[in-house]
Amino acid sequence: MSPNHPSSIIFSDLSKRYFKQGQRTLKEMLHDLFIRREKPGQFIWALNHITLKIAPGTSYGVIGKNGSGKSTLLKLIAGVTIPTKGSLSILGRIAPLIELGAGFHPDLTGRENISLNSAMLGMTKDELDQNLSKIIKFAQLEGFLDTPVKYYSSGMYLRLAFSVAIHVNADILLIDEILAVGDELFQQKCLAKLNSLKKDGKTIIYVSHNIQSVLDFCDRGLYLEHGQIKAEGNIKTVVRRYSLDMEKLL
Amino acid sequence: MPYLLSRWSELSRQLISREIKSRYKQSFLGYAWVILNPLLQMLVMTFVFSLIIRVSSLGVPYAIFLYVALLPWNLFANSLTHSTNSLVNNSALIKKIYFPRQIFIQATLIAKVIDFLLASIILVFFFLLYNQPLTVNALWVIPIFIIQEIFTYGLSLILASINLFYRDIQHLLSLLLILWMYITPVIYPIEMVPEAYRFIFKLNPMAVIINAYREAILGGNIPKLSSLAVALALSLITYYLGRKIFTKLEGYFADVA
Repeated sequence: MSPNHPSSIIFSDLSKRYFKQGQRTLKEMLHDLFIRREKPGQFIWALNHITLKIAPGTSYGVIGKNGSGKSTLLKLIAGVTIPTKGSLSILGRIAPLIELGAGFHPDLTGRENISLNSAMLGMTKDELDQNLSKIIKFAQLEGFLDTPVKYYSSGMYLRLAFSVAIHVNADILLIDEILAVGDELFQQKCLAKLNSLKKDGKTIIYVSHNIQSVLDFCDRGLYLEHGQIKAEGNIKTVVRRYSLDMEKLL
Repeated sequence: MPYLLSRWSELSRQLISREIKSRYKQSFLGYAWVILNPLLQMLVMTFVFSLIIRVSSLGVPYAIFLYVALLPWNLFANSLTHSTNSLVNNSALIKKIYFPRQIFIQATLIAKVIDFLLASIILVFFFLLYNQPLTVNALWVIPIFIIQEIFTYGLSLILASINLFYRDIQHLLSLLLILWMYITPVIYPIEMVPEAYRFIFKLNPMAVIINAYREAILGGNIPKLSSLAVALALSLITYYLGRKIFTKLEGYFADVA
């Protein structure tokens, strides 16, 4: 991919807030509507004034403590939620490898779940037909395809989910802590697959608490704290900054 | 545009078949319930409203008179009930994967239309049984049906999206549907309504639609076009509002689901 290619992901002064209470009832809404306006402290700002450019073909690591906004960042890129302020532009098709297997239906068989899940990820029937054998082979589930997935072991479940997501012909892959999937051998296989996708010029956004794997896999990265950018750029610099902060805490 | 015809057609098809199959899983009679349910409903209501309380059915056997209205009413009520819950029931997916959210509503409505068409087979038997004549005007059911679906879709978009924020909606809806059925000429003919109150029925698209089905199928007449035009206009407004509300709230679905 040429370096002067436009950025595939651009955050412009983006902020995202959530309601503190998950669910509100009509009664509370009517109360707020007539009695008082927005109370302070009603919201939580998950991301604050994020400005960021990620070029195509970058392997981009996102690190930070729990609750720093990493998952919100991925959800925004995945299009699952929208920014409260600022904007986000994305070029290319996305494959989310977040909470793998979320789209699986326990009563359906492995084969049925492959078609349902791939359809959710936007694969057409033709694309699935082309990829079906590759998906099955990669997941190493020959012989279990007509078994409902509720009888799968957690490893089998994740292998299937990973395999479907990885075979979506996406430009951008979102990966959240998934290399803890399956046994050692399958992890190696996933890593090898990700490396080959990286070589093919895919943009990979990689979120992990495993700093070593971030260092090994990514070129650039971002360190988030309380929804703000603490460091951004070359992955080595970003990780150094993060490690220094962590040492201070110990 | 229906997603069934877009690049999401595969997902639409899968959600439709899931909607149809899952409801009757683990039941002995399975899909036969789609036909049995309205049939039994009709038999009980016919007993009550033609033998105990004698409701006029304009010279047509009450069973047929009722069934012609009950089937589309059930379609409307089932569509609204299930589509209102469709986003809440799929909240796990909404939080994790992005695809056009309207697919859930469309898949639910299409599944209900398929149920409706199957349940209508019984009506054909009743027509043969009672030797009930049909005229070419019965073809008016097609445009009437289209108006009904536009109205249902618009309303479903509004209810489903608001229900995600305020679950009160699903409880209110079941109550509302009972009341709504009483101000719609399903179990009685519109002719029984005193003139002074007819205006309520003109502004209720479902009343116009149900009455039009009866007029076209049983009366053999062209339905009253001015009323139908009002119903169409109201349906289009509902659809427009539904689209607007849904698109406005769609981005926040994952935050509250």
